[in-house]
Amino acid sequence: MRRECRGEPRRLVIQLARLGDVVQTLPALDALRQAHPHQGLDLLCPEPLTAVAAGSGLCDRVLPWDGARWHAWASRWADNPVRTLHEAEGCIESLGPLSYERVYSLNQHARCCVLAQLCAEPIRRVSDTEAWEAQLRPWAQHLRWVAKERGANRVHLADAWCGMCGVLPRGQAPLCVPPAAELPDDLAGIGERRGLWVALAVGAGEADRCIAPAVWNQWIREFLAQTQNGHVVLIGSRAEGERAQAILDSLPTLLHGCVWDATGRTTLAQLMCLLQKCQWIIGADTGPLHLGTLVGTRAIGWYFSRARVHETGPYGEGHWVFQHATQTQPHSWPIMESIALMRDEQRQSLADWTLWRSRMDRWGAFFDDGSETAAVESSRADIWRACAPVLCESMAA
Amino acid sequence: MNIFQDNLSRLAPGQQDLATAVTSAAGGVLTIEPSKTGSPSARRSGRWIHSAYDPLREAQTWADTHAAACQSGETIVVAGVGLLYHVELLRKMLPPEAALAVLIPNLDEFHDALAARSFEAWSESILWLSGSPTEVAERLTKTGRPIRCLSYTPATQWDAEFHRALEEALRRVISRRAGGQLTIALVGPIYGGSLPIARYVKRALETLGHTVQWIDHSVHAASYEVMGSLKDGRNRQVMQGRMADLLSQWTLASLAESPPDLVLSLAQAPLTLPMLEHLRKKKFLAAMWFVENYRHLTYWQQMAPGYEYWFVIQKESCFEALRQAGARHVSYLPMAADPEVHCPMTLSGDDRRMFGADLSFVGAGYANRRRLFPALLRRPWSFKVWGNEWEGAEDLRSVIQLNGARIDTATCMKVFNATTINLNLHSTTGEGLDPQADFVNPRTFELAACGAFQLVDHRSHLPEVFSDREIVSFRKFGDVPALVTTWLGDQAARQAMAHVARERVLAAHTYVHRMHDLLGQIGLSQPDRIGSVLRGDRQQESLVARCAEDRPLEALLKDCPSGQRLELKDVAARIRSKGPSATLKREELMVLMLDEYRSETRDLL
Repeated sequence: MRRECRGEPRRLVIQLARLGDVVQTLPALDALRQAHPHQGLDLLCPEPLTAVAAGSGLCDRVLPWDGARWHAWASRWADNPVRTLHEAEGCIESLGPLSYERVYSLNQHARCCVLAQLCAEPIRRVSDTEAWEAQLRPWAQHLRWVAKERGANRVHLADAWCGMCGVLPRGQAPLCVPPAAELPDDLAGIGERRGLWVALAVGAGEADRCIAPAVWNQWIREFLAQTQNGHVVLIGSRAEGERAQAILDSLPTLLHGCVWDATGRTTLAQLMCLLQKCQWIIGADTGPLHLGTLVGTRAIGWYFSRARVHETGPYGEGHWVFQHATQTQPHSWPIMESIALMRDEQRQSLADWTLWRSRMDRWGAFFDDGSETAAVESSRADIWRACAPVLCESMAA
Repeated sequence: MNIFQDNLSRLAPGQQDLATAVTSAAGGVLTIEPSKTGSPSARRSGRWIHSAYDPLREAQTWADTHAAACQSGETIVVAGVGLLYHVELLRKMLPPEAALAVLIPNLDEFHDALAARSFEAWSESILWLSGSPTEVAERLTKTGRPIRCLSYTPATQWDAEFHRALEEALRRVISRRAGGQLTIALVGPIYGGSLPIARYVKRALETLGHTVQWIDHSVHAASYEVMGSLKDGRNRQVMQGRMADLLSQWTLASLAESPPDLVLSLAQAPLTLPMLEHLRKKKFLAAMWFVENYRHLTYWQQMAPGYEYWFVIQKESCFEALRQAGARHVSYLPMAADPEVHCPMTLSGDDRRMFGADLSFVGAGYANRRRLFPALLRRPWSFKVWGNEWEGAEDLRSVIQLNGARIDTATCMKVFNATTINLNLHSTTGEGLDPQADFVNPRTFELAACGAFQLVDHRSHLPEVFSDREIVSFRKFGDVPALVTTWLGDQAARQAMAHVARERVLAAHTYVHRMHDLLGQIGLSQPDRIGSVLRGDRQQESLVARCAEDRPLEALLKDCPSGQRLELKDVAARIRSKGPSATLKREELMVLMLDEYRSETRDLL
């Protein structure tokens, strides 16, 4: 086995979830960097998502985690335990010296806890686990409560993760310059022409969180009818290409020149470049929606099913979310209403949907429908005081 | 030196006997013809063994397909000679440490190959195997390395019997040497004839030292039967279908509790095709022992692709039908007896009177039996018929026992033991003897195991399980009365024959033998999975021995109980048992990490 060694004091944030979660981990990195400017800070995240943080300047290193390889090793351990362990060890080794003074595991899965221990300085494994636990526990309990009860929580997930890392949010959203990436020739023209460019995220993972192609089709028709020089860029994974095709198939040919299909055709870095060229991104609560906010694109989210604006709304100032009143699939969609927002026209209301605007304050991000702002701040402050009393005292001091 | 001599000189040292034999061989089996690309191709009995256009490209495709699965510690055994293009290209793709052997069932063909084209250095590292299938099997297994069998089908068909015999010999050798413990989930039916067989299989597997999780659906039989009482046929079918689906889900939930190495289903096990496909996706290995006549019970047509392995009691036509339906591996596995249940008994005088007769039959009232048995009435010997489903057989009323009630296994054993001559007539829906008389029913083995004398209708598969010195068979039902008369008059001959038949069962036809063969077959086909467990590679001692160069891991494994199979989950459980505040070493954390990923892989529902 590899020799264990101690290096310079460093901190590590572990985030093994999906694209949207990695994006929403960046405020915690930002706050940690500000709180400990002289200490090293790394992020460990799924290998395909490393580009998200790589160019952010918010951490020193982004360590790639290849879950698929661990699955493979797990299934063939008994064939050759020595080789399997050595290969797994090699994987850990390839991440560089892992001897972190502090490890923040943001996912509450057993594997992340084990990974946190593996990455920690050996001497701190037990004693400090207790200390980390003490710090993480109130926030972990809070997040479990939110997931279970779906109560009136107003602390954003990204800010709760700041709390888990022992820091207060900075009160502003991180912005990233996309890593240099050349777009395919036929997509290179996106954003070059004058007009209003909107990226449209066609999918959202699970079927119950997706918006039907027919709805998007209608949205595009309306948008292009109302907007002179409007352009729509369909974005999504390769698997979502069929949805994009379904949207395109039922559009009049005349409109095809205003719609670009980029699904399955971009790397993550290219997608970031592409999003930066658009003024808006619209979609369900999905990774690309959050990625858009990271490169400065304004977001409009349609939140329904299990998606909740106050927990996972787009982070930062000036984004909009239409939140559906129930968890069932909506019968009507805020098509005209979202177009009106993009066109800076008068806001309209729609039955079963509530419109929220994102804001930032000293407790991080929150969403405001124009009422009860003071009460909202107070409820968030209460949660912070309950979960991080020492931190709040130091802030007050 | 000509091509033949040159190639001969390349045969690895120590294969001089083969060199001498192939020199003496006449050849003339292969017809060599140039292919379109110029390299020689070959035909045998008029059929092309290699491509007439580009044999090298064809062989490359074959090698590409198979090389990926081969592992360096294995001996790869190739069946099919021809001009050996496929062997050459496979050898070049494998790492040097992988051992590659080629079976030579026909020296004339090998002679032709050596004379047809020049082999190069690659041929020097090939282990050429000739001799009888048993000799070859012994030679292969002596190395102790896992064996992976590959077949170049275009060249194997002329020596099918050699390859079949070798496979059987290998299976036997592997199962004889098996020392590992498998965990096998045994999925039984809700009711029916395969239910007792599931129990025998369970006992056999446990006797072999494996752990059996019996998923017993017979506990649901009463509910299933109640649904059968619905008068509306459509409703009945819907309800019973839904119950079968539910039980299929239940099976899945049971498997998720503790994932086994192998899911073994007996015929009529309630597992639907979508469930089986789901299991396959989750890397479960599922096998079916279809202990039914495939011509009568035809639901295998819908299930064929769901099981990785099919074991059947019939041969060629059944193999073909299953393969056509999408089965990947089909093997013959005849019925058997369980000597713990099927055994000689000492009966009281009352039992002898109650259950005995000169001639008895035990079984259900199938059409052929109803039609044939009246010929056995009004004879100078007594005749009794036991079993159910005889309603309406008025002419047999005088001989039907217990009003045609179903009899249990214990009663059945008493009848077998108390009867002088047991009639064993295979069922069929026709009027006479089974016109497609192939498989041998379980009763044949059970009667023999009891040391009971029987007259059985002849079956094409009978001679390979019992000789005519062990069991008397008849080809015309009209012969039965005379046979009964003859054998009733010769007690000594009857007893001698019954004794040797029982000896044969104990030596070769118990469920333990069958499970040996079944697991040997799967182990042979899966050298790195079931095969490795059977070889004992996953026993604690074996794992420790393989970790000698890694002290921390060795210490970790040594800490686990010896004499037992050790899986990742066992090592992880051992580590977790240290408690939440224990200081864990790096290798312990790595094991826990791997185990977290393992548990997710088997997340079934």
